[in-house]
Amino acid sequence: MLTEQKLQSFKNIIHESSRDEIIWMSGYLAGISEKNAVAAPPAFTENIISTEKLTISVLYGTETGNSKKIASKLASVLKGKQHKVTLKALDQYNADNLKKESLVFIVMSTHGDGEPPAAAKRFYDHLYKKSHDFSNLKYAVLALGDSSYPLFCKAGEDVDLKFKEFGAIQVLPIEKSDLDIYAVSDAWINNVVNNLPTVANALLPKPQPKHATKNGKRFYKGVVKTHINLNDRGSLKETWHIEIGTDEAIYYLPGDALGIVPPNADEDVLEIISLLSANKNQTIDYKNETITLFDLFKTKLNILYMPLRIVEKYAKLIQSELPSVRLDLKNILALYPFNKDVSLEDFIAILEPITPRLYSVSSSPYAHGNNEIHITVGRNKFLVNDKKKYGFCSNHFAGLNDGDEVTFYINSNERFHLPGTDKDIIMIGPGTGIAPFRSFIFHRDDEGASGRNWLFFGDQHFHTDFLYQSEMLSFFETGSLTKINTAFSRDQKEKLYVQHRMMQQSKELFNWIENGAYIYICGCKNTMAKDVEATLINVISEEAKLDKSEAENFLSMLEEEGRYAKDVY
Amino acid sequence: MAESAIEKIKKESNSLRGTLKESLLDEHTGAIREDDRALIKFHGMYMQDDRDRREERAAKKLEQLYSYMIRLRLPGGFLSAQQWLALHEVSEQYASPVIKITTRQTIQLHGVLKHHIKPTIKEFDTVKLDSIAACGDVNRNVIASAHPRFSAIHKEIFLYAEKLSKLLLPKTNAYYEIWLDKEKISADEEKDKLYQDRYFPRKFKIAIAIPPYNDVDVFTNDVGLIAIIENNNLIGFNVSAGGGMGMTHGNAATYPRLASMLGFVNKDELFKTVYAIATTQRDFGNREDRKFARLKYTIDRMGIDVFKNEVEQRSDIQFQEEKKYDFTIRHDEYGWHQNHERLYYYTAFVETGRVYDNDKVQFKKAFYEIAKSGKAQFRFTCNQNIIVSDIQPEHKTEIENILQQYGIIQITKTASPVRRNAVACVAFNTCPLALAEAQRYLPSLIDKIEILLDKYNLNNEDLSVRMTGCPNGCGRSVAAEIGFVGTAYGKYNMHIGGDATGKRLNKIYKENIEEAEILNSLDELLKDFSGNKSFNESFGDYVVRKKIV
Ligand code: SRM
Ligand SMILES: Cc1cc2nc3c(=O)[nH]c(=O)nc-3n(C[C@H](O)[C@H](O)[C@H](O)COP(=O)(O)OP(=O)(O)OC[C@H]3O[C@@H](n4cnc5c(N)ncnc54)[C@H](O)[C@@H]3O)c2cc1C
Ligand SMILES: Cc1cc2nc3c(=O)[nH]c(=O)nc-3n(C[C@H](O)[C@H](O)[C@H](O)COP(=O)(O)O)c2cc1C
Ligand code: SF4
Repeated sequence: MLTEQKLQSFKNIIHESSRDEIIWMSGYLAGISEKNAVAAPPAFTENIISTEKLTISVLYGTETGNSKKIASKLASVLKGKQHKVTLKALDQYNADNLKKESLVFIVMSTHGDGEPPAAAKRFYDHLYKKSHDFSNLKYAVLALGDSSYPLFCKAGEDVDLKFKEFGAIQVLPIEKSDLDIYAVSDAWINNVVNNLPTVANALLPKPQPKHATKNGKRFYKGVVKTHINLNDRGSLKETWHIEIGTDEAIYYLPGDALGIVPPNADEDVLEIISLLSANKNQTIDYKNETITLFDLFKTKLNILYMPLRIVEKYAKLIQSELPSVRLDLKNILALYPFNKDVSLEDFIAILEPITPRLYSVSSSPYAHGNNEIHITVGRNKFLVNDKKKYGFCSNHFAGLNDGDEVTFYINSNERFHLPGTDKDIIMIGPGTGIAPFRSFIFHRDDEGASGRNWLFFGDQHFHTDFLYQSEMLSFFETGSLTKINTAFSRDQKEKLYVQHRMMQQSKELFNWIENGAYIYICGCKNTMAKDVEATLINVISEEAKLDKSEAENFLSMLEEEGRYAKDVY
Repeated sequence: MAESAIEKIKKESNSLRGTLKESLLDEHTGAIREDDRALIKFHGMYMQDDRDRREERAAKKLEQLYSYMIRLRLPGGFLSAQQWLALHEVSEQYASPVIKITTRQTIQLHGVLKHHIKPTIKEFDTVKLDSIAACGDVNRNVIASAHPRFSAIHKEIFLYAEKLSKLLLPKTNAYYEIWLDKEKISADEEKDKLYQDRYFPRKFKIAIAIPPYNDVDVFTNDVGLIAIIENNNLIGFNVSAGGGMGMTHGNAATYPRLASMLGFVNKDELFKTVYAIATTQRDFGNREDRKFARLKYTIDRMGIDVFKNEVEQRSDIQFQEEKKYDFTIRHDEYGWHQNHERLYYYTAFVETGRVYDNDKVQFKKAFYEIAKSGKAQFRFTCNQNIIVSDIQPEHKTEIENILQQYGIIQITKTASPVRRNAVACVAFNTCPLALAEAQRYLPSLIDKIEILLDKYNLNNEDLSVRMTGCPNGCGRSVAAEIGFVGTAYGKYNMHIGGDATGKRLNKIYKENIEEAEILNSLDELLKDFSGNKSFNESFGDYVVRKKIV
């Protein structure tokens, strides 16, 4: 049925494609034919089979490894086509080179609250610092994200916009991928391959990217089996060890996190609904599902500590002045009432989904089986004008009882998984940062891993705050934990932290590192992680007799090799 | 039979150092290493854990709440005002604030965390207090009759207690190196002729009584010395040996024993004699089985004559005929007294020896203020009480006002004789060997016994009731008129028939009984006693005369 020419090119494509690609293509073709989706099939024209060898940079910014996987795949496909390809992590890439580049593909995710991954921050800021001339640059962006976060793929969007602004030419419009990454990314890779510009610069009509239809998260239902506050009486901390049991098997690896979207409190929801003088049973359409107003506010929309961007939108909506302070929605509505001539739909349209919260899994599928998962939740306390308040999700967990239901998903973290069983690992995890390491140690103990394990733990007081102490001690006695160092900040006059213990162990630490040890940091991002990293750099420069910048390079080299990973928050 | 494990630990301890320094540096645990747990006792400390908290801590995945009990070496039980201030501070800063007066005339602090041991010992050192040899297989705190009013020679006796303590002190410098970061000393200076590298097979206890006062329960000690005074001069001592209270449930071969009289020695012969007894026990004591290692078993094994002979050989001193003496009282005489130098003494009742503040009485506040005034000193009694002592007549009212202000005089006045004479050991929650409660329970049992005594108009009986949480006898319960010995939680063996002055042990009357049955038995016994006792007959003597035991 195909014309001779078409058939020929079809054969050529088959001929040139890897087995994977052929499998994908068949699926792709099946997909579009049944959905007769807008997505046009790859344009089978001469110039995609252009023998032209292009110089291409594939750049990625990743936190948990997804973007890297996709970027690597794209790079290898392009290499397969004899193009000259360099694959680089954004933190390894000097943004000034962009003006010299001719063709760049960027895969990057979004983290925090619409922010770029830590490793892409420098690159990202560079684009915002000053204006550039990218007029010789062609590019395409694949943004990874999770549509259940308020700012879906924001970081990728920002980069795409900036490139445009600086005169770069889109090879493909920005593609956004939700969590079912491969459906989208494989299509994107193929579009890229099929739309490589020729030297002649003749850009083809761009096929419409294929959008993911579902968020791609796999939700599990479980019940709380155990719920213990690990801190002893008299502690200022409250850290909950929570064991959740499920009927269906949970698939995760040590280093992954458990994600949940905590439900809002009934009383808040009802208060808001009455402030809107609406009916809680009235149904409305939200993200192509029909749902009652009550359930919408209970389970979907964030009503706490509203971001300023929402405050501003609301001010516009009700056409009045609102001070730019972050308040809970109920307070906003009480102070600046919602007025009738605004439609409920418009109001809801400005609201954002509840941000998922993540908790490092502290159990091991080997040691605890696949129908059980543990997390370690620090009840987040803070003061709002001298009134004690608790964090939304951690407070929710603190309040759970045995038997309560929990709906969660797994947020896998490629970059924070265990190395081969023969490798040594150094784990630095004060406070709740110990969570993934409890998982690591249980896992390696169960595997009988030959690699050595060294844990640095710290908290406020030895006698009340040594999380999982008895477990750690028995691992230490049996040798599953080779070394354990602790720092308790408030047991002596001068503050003592893990980084001080690391400094005391400087020589030994570096021995391990030279021996190929993998280094992991988990816990508080703003204080601990920074100090610990600085200390690692000190250790390296002292022991290896390197100057500071050389030591920094040494460390980022380790990061490149996957031997230095952070899971900080 | 092979030597016991402890013997090996002692020998290999490098003069009691072991790995204590390393243990202190272990970051991951509040405990110290296995062998060090035996060695730290020789430094006056015990590793313990809060037994009330075990389950809860286990659920929280925390190790047991380890802490350390520190016992001071306090020959004769004397503490200066300045030393009291230091003790008070330390107890507030580093320990569970309760200061425990022990049945051996010293004090213990509980709940000292591992990282607080060194600061604690340092504090004590600044006021010349130490805990060397307060525990372990060495000579323990040397006790002596506490109350100066009984005799002009009290001061002299007190000095004997100090000298004996020094004479039998281990020579090792370990204590100073480990806890006070002092320099090493030469091996020669450390050479220990008495203890060598094996120390004693077991603890070794010395008491000095000044008749007619037997507050020290002299015959319950390994060496019991009775001061002999002739026309107000100390001439020498009656020496008895082989006392001990400990036994083990279900092990008939173990038994409590009162010391056997060896005879009289002149005061200038005392040290040689005691030293000879010590070396005899060192060389003949059982080092295989610690249950039979005390001097009392050594003597019974050798036979008293062979033993006495060995001691005379070693000391080159013959024991003379024992001299006449008379014990009339064992319990403390409360309230104000004046001694021959017209100095005033106030004996305060401290129930079960626990010095702390509650809403009825504030011991700590009171003694702290008194100490600050610098107008009094402190002496502890073997009945776990305290004597505010050596007060100039012109300062009496000032001290009295403080005692009044904090409720001490009221408590001491109003407590019934049976309560004031009662003794209880520590037991729960710190004692690892406790089978039943003692100091935390006895006061409430006394409430109920008081009701019975009242029922039979026996309120003024100087009845001696003692309770221990296990058969080790730390509260000398088997030397009481009525003794309770813990067998299991809430259960006690009831002993009766001891005399009131410590010359006769009691016998088991009922086994494994709980409170209800304890009270029923007492109800019967006291009814019988009140009806049929002869004039001035004590309860202990009565039940023996009536062959009730
Ligand atoms: C504090 C004190 C009881 C009190 O409430 O006052 C006490 C408390 C303990 N005694 Fe005692 N004994 C205390 C006087 C006694 C006495 C009475 C006396 O010496 O006049 C005796 C009976 C006399 C004797 O030695 O036979 C006594 C016989 C024991 C024994 C049994 C010894 C034996 O050879 O039979 C033990 C257990 C052991 O040594 O194995 C023991 C062991 C203990 C320990 C250290 C438990 C242990 O070994 O771990 C107790 C600590 C409990 C705690 O948490 O404080 N304690 N102990 C007394 C401290 C005296 C001092 O200042 O040195
Ligand atoms: C990969 C990853 C792993 C993690 N692992 C763990 C873990 O193992 N254990 C763990 O305990 N946590 C972990 N976290 C952190 C966790 O996800 C949550 O961020 C944390 O529990 C706080 O969430 P919350 O809803 O309790 O607090 P939120 O309600 O989100 O509040 C967070 C902060 O926002 C501010 N805030 C909130 N409301 C107000 C208000 N009304 N007024 C003023 N300020 C306000 C406060 O500073 C507060 O501390 C992890 C995070 C990540 C990203
Ligand atoms: C802590 C955290 C915050 C996130 N915040 C956002 C967000 O604000 N917007 C978004 O679209 N996705 C967000 N995501 C989802 C990630 O972008 C998504 O998991 C992506 O696949 C991660 O890719 P990476 O492994 O390359 O970092 C967040 C994920 C995590 C772990
Ligand atoms: S008698 Fe037993 S329970 Fe009481 S303190 Fe002594 S050893 Fe502990």
